[in-house]
Amino acid sequence: MQHLDPDRLVLLALSEETESPLDFDHLAECAVCRHELYALRTVADLGTESQDLRDLPPPPERIWQSIEVGIGQAPVPAVPERRSRPRPRWLLPVLAAAAAAVLAVAGTVVVDRLAHRAPPERVTARATLSPLPSVPAAAGGSVRVLAAGEMRVDVRNLPLTTGFHEVWLIDPDDLTKMVAVGNLSDKPDVVLTVPPGIDLNRYRLVDISDEPHDGDAAHSGRSLLRGTLTY
Amino acid sequence: MISDDELAERLRDGDEKALRTAYERHGAAVLYLAQRLLSSLADAEDVTQLTFVAAWAGRDTFDPRRGTLLGWLLGIARRKAIDRIRSTARDERVTQTVRAQLVTPDEAELPERIVDRLVVADELGRLPAEQRRTLELAFFDDLTHPQIAAVTGLPLGTVKSHIRRGLANLRRRWEVDGATSGSRSAGPSRTL
Repeated sequence: MQHLDPDRLVLLALSEETESPLDFDHLAECAVCRHELYALRTVADLGTESQDLRDLPPPPERIWQSIEVGIGQAPVPAVPERRSRPRPRWLLPVLAAAAAAVLAVAGTVVVDRLAHRAPPERVTARATLSPLPSVPAAAGGSVRVLAAGEMRVDVRNLPLTTGFHEVWLIDPDDLTKMVAVGNLSDKPDVVLTVPPGIDLNRYRLVDISDEPHDGDAAHSGRSLLRGTLTY
Repeated sequence: MISDDELAERLRDGDEKALRTAYERHGAAVLYLAQRLLSSLADAEDVTQLTFVAAWAGRDTFDPRRGTLLGWLLGIARRKAIDRIRSTARDERVTQTVRAQLVTPDEAELPERIVDRLVVADELGRLPAEQRRTLELAFFDDLTHPQIAAVTGLPLGTVKSHIRRGLANLRRRWEVDGATSGSRSAGPSRTL
């Protein structure tokens, strides 16, 4: 059987010529040429439709920034200013100065209430905490989420605070969404409880903040350490 | 500019800069697909972010023998967008099908078709200049072979072979990377 000429198929696919009775008869009985024509026609149609796609605008930089947060390899943008009750403008430098005045290196605070409990603990997720740019580079820590729904936070060299250090779980996809988990008080051996039902795949950004004693439960906006939970 | 193969290799090696390059090279196509499938721009940007984060996390699973980087990324984006459509549907307690949720009903088209178009557009941009030029005149300006010969000053025989080979190249790429279920059909194939 004589197949249709490749150039002929191209012309038919581009609708530059129409099928002659001879073409038609052949296509009716030849699956090979039918398939060829179908494939070429589809590709030609796709090509014709692709005109608008030639010069797509470059994707916005903000998406890249959220990708960086998502892969946990870059400093994330600062937590947005508290929304519940904006802090007076003059207060920020005052607090910063106060914090700087007491800036010192704290010893390792191992928060582990259950140290005496029977090992072995099963770790379901962990994060390495890194200092934000405004924080001394020696500061850091790690977080281990235990199978029992508890979170062991180990920090070192945190700047001293006139208030307290609070642990947060933040949704890196929407930095306004966060949950306070507890604080790193001087009490030794404290393991924090992960709030029941919280989705750690979503709230995977662990944040340690410096909170003033101002009676405001919202995040102060002063993050010290951050790290992303991985499994 | 490094090749896509080299880029994929660096990505698999865990080079974060390679992810950035992949984003610069293919982020626009991923975002375009997401925008076509989702009615909210915020959702489309979310899906784009999720796609590249998932690509990073799953970089070990990319197999260049099974398709190109773009094809792989679009496959991830398509699944993420459909997940998003489904969860939105669940949230709203509606039981529409995925298709019914697409941007505008009169423009509704299958995600596969959009993926195929993006893949073909990408390949068109990679063709040798004369092949691309003749195909663009055929596709976008709807010119016949003789008209293309007249416009470009190329002999008719050259125009014919550019178009034939160009179409064959697009087709090969579409068969490798396209999402349309029929594109990988077991039908016999002849070399053009």
